[in-house]
Amino acid sequence: MRSGTLLKQALESYRSDADVGPLPPPVDTDSLLNTFHPDHLRGSVVKLGVGVNAGDSCQRDLADLLQTEAYIDEADLAGTPVTDVDVLVIGGGGAGCAAALAAAEKGARVLLATKLRLGDSNTVMAEGGIQASIEPDDSVQKHIQDTLRGGHHAGNPSLVASMAEDGPDVLRWLIHLGMQFELTASGDLQTRRAGGMSASRLVYCRDYTGLEMMRVLREAVIQHRSIEVWEQSPAVELLSNEFGLKCVGAVLTSLIDGQMRIVRTRSVILATGGLGRLHLNGFATSNHLGATGDGLVLAYRIGAKLCELDSFQYHPTGLVYPSHLSGKLVTEGVRAAGALLLNANGNRFIDELQPRDIVCAAILRECQEGRGVRIDDERVGVWLDTPRLEQTQPGLLERQFPNLMSRTKGSGLDPRTQPLLVHPTLHYQNGGVIIDTSGASTVPGLYAVGEVAGGIHGRNRIMGNALLEIICFGRRAGYAATAKRDRGPKKVTLEHINQLRRALTLAKMPMTRRAPQILPAYAKGGLWTR
Amino acid sequence: MDEMKPQTPQVLLHPDQRVGANMARWRKSGGGDAISIAAGNPDRVREQVRLAELRGLGGSGFPAWRKWEAVAAEKPNPDKYVVVNGNEDEPGTFKDRLLLEETPHQVIEGAVVTALAVGANRVVFYVNPDLSRSLAAMRIALEQWKTSDLTAQASTALGKPLDLLLCPGSGHYIGGEETAAMEWIEGRFPFPRGKPPYPAQSGIKGCPTLINNVETLAYVSHIAKHGADWFRALGKAPGLGTKLYSLSGDVLYPGVFELPKGTSLRELVYTHGGGLLSGKPLKAVFTGGPSSTLLTPADLDVALDFDSLRARGSSLGTGAMIVISEGTGIVKRVAEYERFFAHSSCGQCNSCKTGTATMSQLLDRIDTGRGTESDLSILKNLCAMLPNSGRCHLVNGAAMLLDSAFRHFHDEFVQAVARAPARFGGASRG
Repeated sequence: MRSGTLLKQALESYRSDADVGPLPPPVDTDSLLNTFHPDHLRGSVVKLGVGVNAGDSCQRDLADLLQTEAYIDEADLAGTPVTDVDVLVIGGGGAGCAAALAAAEKGARVLLATKLRLGDSNTVMAEGGIQASIEPDDSVQKHIQDTLRGGHHAGNPSLVASMAEDGPDVLRWLIHLGMQFELTASGDLQTRRAGGMSASRLVYCRDYTGLEMMRVLREAVIQHRSIEVWEQSPAVELLSNEFGLKCVGAVLTSLIDGQMRIVRTRSVILATGGLGRLHLNGFATSNHLGATGDGLVLAYRIGAKLCELDSFQYHPTGLVYPSHLSGKLVTEGVRAAGALLLNANGNRFIDELQPRDIVCAAILRECQEGRGVRIDDERVGVWLDTPRLEQTQPGLLERQFPNLMSRTKGSGLDPRTQPLLVHPTLHYQNGGVIIDTSGASTVPGLYAVGEVAGGIHGRNRIMGNALLEIICFGRRAGYAATAKRDRGPKKVTLEHINQLRRALTLAKMPMTRRAPQILPAYAKGGLWTR
Repeated sequence: MDEMKPQTPQVLLHPDQRVGANMARWRKSGGGDAISIAAGNPDRVREQVRLAELRGLGGSGFPAWRKWEAVAAEKPNPDKYVVVNGNEDEPGTFKDRLLLEETPHQVIEGAVVTALAVGANRVVFYVNPDLSRSLAAMRIALEQWKTSDLTAQASTALGKPLDLLLCPGSGHYIGGEETAAMEWIEGRFPFPRGKPPYPAQSGIKGCPTLINNVETLAYVSHIAKHGADWFRALGKAPGLGTKLYSLSGDVLYPGVFELPKGTSLRELVYTHGGGLLSGKPLKAVFTGGPSSTLLTPADLDVALDFDSLRARGSSLGTGAMIVISEGTGIVKRVAEYERFFAHSSCGQCNSCKTGTATMSQLLDRIDTGRGTESDLSILKNLCAMLPNSGRCHLVNGAAMLLDSAFRHFHDEFVQAVARAPARFGGASRG
């Protein structure tokens, strides 16, 4: 049996009015991260061997996907119907919808293709809120500084500045679409402060901000006459011009009948989200079923440069118990509202509002050093002290976190009387496809927005920037993708696949595995394997 | 990897030539020497080009010296033009862009030597506007030439100032046809003209005009310097000299290769190209250019020169070889090519405008599983009807390619039609 206090024992000794002790003196954050953060686990990172990022560090599981044979061959395209559009958006989450709406606003014919259904995404799981510097004591500059500092100064300052500047306008756009936010008594937007923020900047809608956002985006996309939506149509490959240097379309397949379809276009906007379902380093994930990193694979093959492939965000408070909710998030808003993190001995061990990677590393330290609460050999965590929050602010949980309450209620748990057992969960891909301020990747004709894009959050994202980023860069890419009115592609080919095969052959790497993965292995049920 | 490849004579792609727009470096290794040779004895240059049997390398394979003699025989009216045709736009062809980008001085020298040989005082470098790096290199190089002693020397020999002009093309494929190029240079849309009069008699603004491809003219300075015998000996008999081959498609090492003319397809694909990707068998090779055709594995040992290929009913074209491996659908590829031809037709001749568009539409229909047997027979009729029905060769190319695909891969077209779902009325139309 590994060290730690058993759940039953820990529950018996827990009291919501017990003294939690003083906060231990702060430790050196660098050594904390280097010792305990999963990005630094020995053997989890390898160097890429082929492609534009050859020589860069990358998580092993991701590297295995980036350096594989394509899912399709030329022969698969025989007899394939062709569809021509101005802009193809791949991905039906928040970023994809924002990009499609922006492109359609400029008069483009848009096709939005999504792997599952429109809105099946991580956007709907974003609970905490969206950042925008709208308070009198806040400024765009502070927002920029907080974002860069939170990302350990690895973010691209011009991207961060674009995002922070767009913040208030993004809120205005969303409100015009009909999105609801919490308001103060006088009718202003209600804000709150969360981890890593120097001012109160988080605008939110209860604890389902992303769901509310997706509700209005989805409505707007469905109603727009210039946007066609293809559901259950994952992209299996991008198409390039005859030199393999420009993105001119994509090959989509259908999850229903397996039929391939070629889409020919001037611009492709990748909005495929993250890769939580690869379960890097064996972690549970908060991500939805389709988050298998397809966008990274497709972009890398066609020659787009990626960044920060060895840096992922593990959300500090994923549920450990009950097991069917394993990995599901407890929003950072609960900590922002005042909930404490306690170890099995009932002591605080970290300032709960530190950036996510530091809180995450501190929780992993408690678990590894025997101060965690253990259910069995596999599952261990620390307490998120919700009963104490209820005591100090009665009714707050029910009022502000209805999503959490209903989810736990269904499992027979009551956060008002019993603390929640939490453990870090694989949450977000910090890096991704390198973009400029219009969302354009390094490959002409290819844009990337949302979680698949990188360079904004550096090596750690602070809360509320994801929802801002998807709308900000989604719209920017949508506008930029329609700006160039050329004659459209002359020829659509798989030449970039040939370039990949050449590189793999010369590097003597195997071409046995195929990517993109499309669905996690445990969800395929025999489908989609080659 | 390079040391594994057999040594081949390098003329155009010799490292001394590939210095970009760096004139000082190029002059140091003997660049520019041909100007004084040509200035001293222009007739001898023409003689050597004739003896070298230099061909037009833009796709036609027409003996260059015939055009040269015709232009040399004409009197200036009041000028004479040499046009360097760099409108390269065919699928799979990327040799001229390399020459213009990496060896701009070699191209200019060849053009100036040609101008001296035929007595032309105006040289126009006509370049595809999409080749931005080639254009940039040429722009810098031409600036250097304008103040160079080489230009002064040529002007003195001509007795008139030598004018060097860079003219970006219109971006149309058809703009590469010689008379279309002249229309564009004169400031009009590049519609091909009817012939005669031939450009040698009445070209740009009614002046005698010689128009040759970039690669053709790039060889001229070397022939002037080293003589016809040297050039002929570079080839593999019966081929003479070297030739740039643009190799692309499913091979390990795509790229531009300068090989002795007459090198076999097998050597090009398997030795220089490193063989096919993933070890798949070869299915076909599309030869690029205005008269594209298909080569098959049976043609692997055929020598890649104009006459040997013509004897096989095919064509060397621009020397572009697009390699296709097993597992690639011919119908889709041919449909793409025909779309290119339909897209590129200037619309001047009805047969070409409607013929290429109809071929493209029918092939698209067959490729996307909606074709019928009657579509196939219409296509076959078009292949017989269309050749030589237009002012230029575009429609011939479109028909020849499809005809060649039918000849070698008829089964695939039949299968594609058989795959189509039965439609109401479909059978009776067949």
